[in-house]
Amino acid sequence: MTGELLLSMALAVAFLSGTGLVLSAFLILAERKILNYGSCKISINDGQKELSVKGGAFLLFNLAENDIFIPSACGGRGSCAYCKVKVIEGGGPIGPVEAPYLSPEEQQDHTRLSCQVKVRSDLRIIIPEELFLVKRYNGLLERKRSLTYDIVELRIKLEEPDTMDFVAGQYVQLESAEYKGRDAVMRAYSMSSPPSDKHHIELIIRKVPNGIMTTWIFDYLEEGQRISLSGPYGQFCLTDTDAPIVFIAGGSGMAPIWSMIRDMKEKGIERPTTFFFGALTQKDLFFVDELTKLEEELPWFTFVPALSNEPEDSDWKGERGLITDVVAKYFPDVSKHEGYLCGSPGMINACIAVLTEAEMPETCIFFDKFA
Amino acid sequence: MKQSPAEQNLMRNLGPSKFSAEGFLGSDTRPFDEIVSEDLRSLEQKRVSKEDLVAALTDAYEMAKQALGGRVVIRPGVTAVFKESMGRVPSPFRGDGVFEKGEAVVKDEEGGHTIIITSLGIHLIKKHGFFQGKGSRYRIEPERAIGIFRLGPVPS
Repeated sequence: MTGELLLSMALAVAFLSGTGLVLSAFLILAERKILNYGSCKISINDGQKELSVKGGAFLLFNLAENDIFIPSACGGRGSCAYCKVKVIEGGGPIGPVEAPYLSPEEQQDHTRLSCQVKVRSDLRIIIPEELFLVKRYNGLLERKRSLTYDIVELRIKLEEPDTMDFVAGQYVQLESAEYKGRDAVMRAYSMSSPPSDKHHIELIIRKVPNGIMTTWIFDYLEEGQRISLSGPYGQFCLTDTDAPIVFIAGGSGMAPIWSMIRDMKEKGIERPTTFFFGALTQKDLFFVDELTKLEEELPWFTFVPALSNEPEDSDWKGERGLITDVVAKYFPDVSKHEGYLCGSPGMINACIAVLTEAEMPETCIFFDKFA
Repeated sequence: MKQSPAEQNLMRNLGPSKFSAEGFLGSDTRPFDEIVSEDLRSLEQKRVSKEDLVAALTDAYEMAKQALGGRVVIRPGVTAVFKESMGRVPSPFRGDGVFEKGEAVVKDEEGGHTIIITSLGIHLIKKHGFFQGKGSRYRIEPERAIGIFRLGPVPS
C-alpha cells in the first residue's frame, strides 16, 4: 500500500516537472521564434545616419552599441527621464513607465524615453546633432583634491580614447561603479578645465546628501582608479559676439565659467567680463586666489565674490548679500550684455529675473542649471 | 510573511539602490505597510489630517527655497534654510516622476528638533502616506512635525 502511494507521488512529481519543462521550453522557443523581430532599421535625423539592429532591445541600448550615447543618469531604468529623443515613426504607444515623465507638449511632438522604446520595427528618430560627436572614454583619476568642505575637484587623464575635443561650457556624464549594494549610475558634470588640454578633463563636484554618485566620489573613489565617462554634451558655450559678459555662478556652478574664462585668456578674447560668484560664507569660496590673480593680469576681467550668510563681525571685505542684489547693484542696465549662469535652479531663476529686470533680452541669457 | 514580487521590488528600491545612497528606510526593519499605517495612525491620534501636514511642509519648503540659502523664520522659534543641489531625483515608486534635489532644513530652536523637507519627501507622504523609515535622514516624524508647525485642534 505504502509502495503504491510512493509510486503515485513520484509519478505526480514527474508529471508536474515534465509539464513545467515542456512549458519552459515552449516559452523559450516562443521568445526566439514568435517574438523574433528580425533586423530593424533605425533612421536618425532624416537618414543622416542609418543603423541596422537586431529587433527586441531598447532603443537607448541599440544606439549605445552603435556609439551614439544618449544622456542617461539611471542606466536605462526609466527613472531619470534624461534619455529623451523624438521617435517619429515605429515607437509604438507611450508606456506607463514613461508617461509621467512626458509633458502633453512632449507627447504631442513624439518625444519618448529611449530606454523605454523597444525596437520592434523600423524606426525614424530625431536626436540633437551634437550627440553624433559624443564618445565613451576610459580614464585614470590623476588627482582628487578638496576645494571646500563639500566640494572636490577631479582631474582625469583620458586614456581610451586619449583626447577629447570640447567647447568650454560643455559637460560629461561620469559613470560610478557599484558599491555596497548601490547601483552604478551616471551623472552630468561640467568640465572646468580649458579645452586646450585635450588629454585631461577636470570636474568640480559638490557632495549631495544621500547622493549615490557623490557618495561614491567622496567616500570610495581614489586617485589612480580607472573611471569611465561619455561626452562632450551640451550647448552652454560663449557666443562669438563682442557683447560684454556677465558670468554668475554659485557652488560647483563655477566649473563651466572657470573653463570659459581660461579659454578666453588663451584665445585672446577680450570682451569686458564680470564674474559674480555667490556663496554663503568664506568657507564656501574656492579659486579666489586664482581668480584674483587673473583679475590683476587681465584688464577686461573683474571678479566679484559675494557672501550671503557671512557673520557680520568677520574679516570679509568683499560684497555681502544675495548674489542677485549684488548683480543689480553693479549693473542696473545690462541691455547690451550677455549673461551666462550656472548653479542651482533657484539661483538661476532668481538671476534671470534680475537680469531681465535690468533690460537684458532673454535671448542673451544662457544657463545650465542641470534641472 | 512572504512578499509578492512587487513588494520585493519596492523594498529593494526603498533600500540603498539607484534611488538613494542610504535608502528611504533608515534602520527601520518594519514592513512598508506597517510604517505607513503606524504613521497615519499617529496623525489620527493627534487629529491632524495628512493634507494639513503636507500643506505645512510645502509652505515651509517653499518659504525656505525663496530665500536662496538665507535663514527664514517659519514661525517664532522655528527657522529654515534651503540647501540646493543641481539635478533631480527619481521617486522609488515606479512612474511617479522626478523631483528637485534641494532640501529645507527646518529647525525648532525651542524643542531642539530638526526635520529635513524635500520635494520627494513631500510627495511620498502626499501620494503614499510614506514618512520614510526611522533613522532615515529625511524621515518626517509625524508628532515632531505636528509640534513644529503647531498643527491640530487648538486646546480649549
